[in-house]
Amino acid sequence: MNCESVTKLIPLYFYGELPPEEEDRLEQHLDTCAACAREAESQRALSAALDRRAMQPAAALLAECRHDLMRAVYREGAPVPRGADFSPRGTLVPHRFAAWLPSLGVWRMPLGASALLALGFIAARLTTPGAAGPFSFASLTPDVISSVRSVQPASHDGSQPGEVRIVLDETRQRVISGKLNDSNIQRLVLAAAHDENNPGVRWESVDLLNSHSDSSPVRELLLNRLAEDPNPGVRLKALEGLKAYTGDPEVRKVLAQVLMRDEYPGVRIAAVDALTAHADGKMVGFLQGVVQKEDNTYVRRRCVKALQDMNASVGTF
Amino acid sequence: MAQDAPAAVGARLSPKLDEASLIRAVQRGDQDAFEQLVRAYDQSVLRLAVNLLRSQEDARDVFQEAFLRVFRSIDSFRFDCSFHTWLYRIVTNICLDYLRKRKVRKEEPAVVDTPEGPLDRMNDFEEEAAHADPERAMRNVQLGQRIEGALGGLTPRERMVFELRHYQGLRLRNIGEILGTSEEAAKNCLFRATQKMRAVLGDFQ
Repeated sequence: MNCESVTKLIPLYFYGELPPEEEDRLEQHLDTCAACAREAESQRALSAALDRRAMQPAAALLAECRHDLMRAVYREGAPVPRGADFSPRGTLVPHRFAAWLPSLGVWRMPLGASALLALGFIAARLTTPGAAGPFSFASLTPDVISSVRSVQPASHDGSQPGEVRIVLDETRQRVISGKLNDSNIQRLVLAAAHDENNPGVRWESVDLLNSHSDSSPVRELLLNRLAEDPNPGVRLKALEGLKAYTGDPEVRKVLAQVLMRDEYPGVRIAAVDALTAHADGKMVGFLQGVVQKEDNTYVRRRCVKALQDMNASVGTF
Repeated sequence: MAQDAPAAVGARLSPKLDEASLIRAVQRGDQDAFEQLVRAYDQSVLRLAVNLLRSQEDARDVFQEAFLRVFRSIDSFRFDCSFHTWLYRIVTNICLDYLRKRKVRKEEPAVVDTPEGPLDRMNDFEEEAAHADPERAMRNVQLGQRIEGALGGLTPRERMVFELRHYQGLRLRNIGEILGTSEEAAKNCLFRATQKMRAVLGDFQ
């Protein structure tokens, strides 16, 4: 084994990719050759330096990715009726992946980017004799999701031996479509943006409304969601829609609140970027305060840069 | 060196279901099984994308695209390789596309100028960085820039092999299988990558 071949093998040796006998020969060579031993040390130093650059994605990023994925999976799975069937859970499904809908919970309500708004209305209608008329399989169309509430032996008057009684809960969907500049549609989307049980619907609604932020009610809604929404993804989405208005005093006031109070660094980063996009002498004291209390390096440095751009001192004296 | 070998990933699966049973359940349309399968691998997939692409937005897109492809094509998985290898073929193909696109269009740099010197926005990932002392932080930033420069000098394929071996801890045989090449070709790729890195970073100790 000569120095040239050892040099080529050092990276493989370091990563434990050499067969044992070749590793033995290389180690024997390193024991007797100072130049190759330095090569090996250099490889170790490179590796140690690279180890320090290893990054662990933030837990919040992973959580957002999971949410986005499940929403996308639902969108793919729900709308295509490829042969309706009963799932083992007793739910009428348009195709096999719609069997996932019950567990998808918050993402169940479809709300697409094409301003197609679908709202679900729960009929909660029980199929008791006389109340709903004769049961017909043909009535189970894909826009009605039926869940079996109970299955019991029939016990009403006149029931035959062996007859069963099946109680269904039905959720009937109603689809309303129109353009966002239609005031009725806009009103529904504004309401959906407040749906406290469904962050997915709020996110989608805010995303749609961002393209109409020139409307005063929409801008008010975006400010409200930025300041109040419990979901950081929705807050970030609302902030996106306000970027064209970062010179507006009301918007700046909310951005300042967010910068001081928001628990999520990603939102504070977006807020500081938006706030410092405009030089504003009235913000000096506020930015100095952020520098003192902020623990995120990027946010702190953006504030420092903004203060220096305004020839203001960084600290308070 | 970060290690995230398939066995370690597999250990995150519930002991109730082995991976093959889980995959078969997904193929039957079982949502819980799909979520369990995603959660067994999603941290390592996201870390790979973040480390390779140095961009939260791109990493998020890769994550979504990769698992959606799994979702759409799980029926075509025939158990003729491990699920880990199959998934990583999908992920690495998407990442390689991103890296190749970057070769032809100049990306916005991850490092931005601030009054206190250059700042790597990706440091937000590292909790330690936010609390480091200023001198150490500055040294880390300078080293980070040099490493970024060195990594930027690798071809997308060299970058991928290096990432999978050094940060994900995969064996070269497995890397070759994922990338549709031989173990020998993966070895050569790793050698070229380390030589290039040392040519740029060689005087750093």
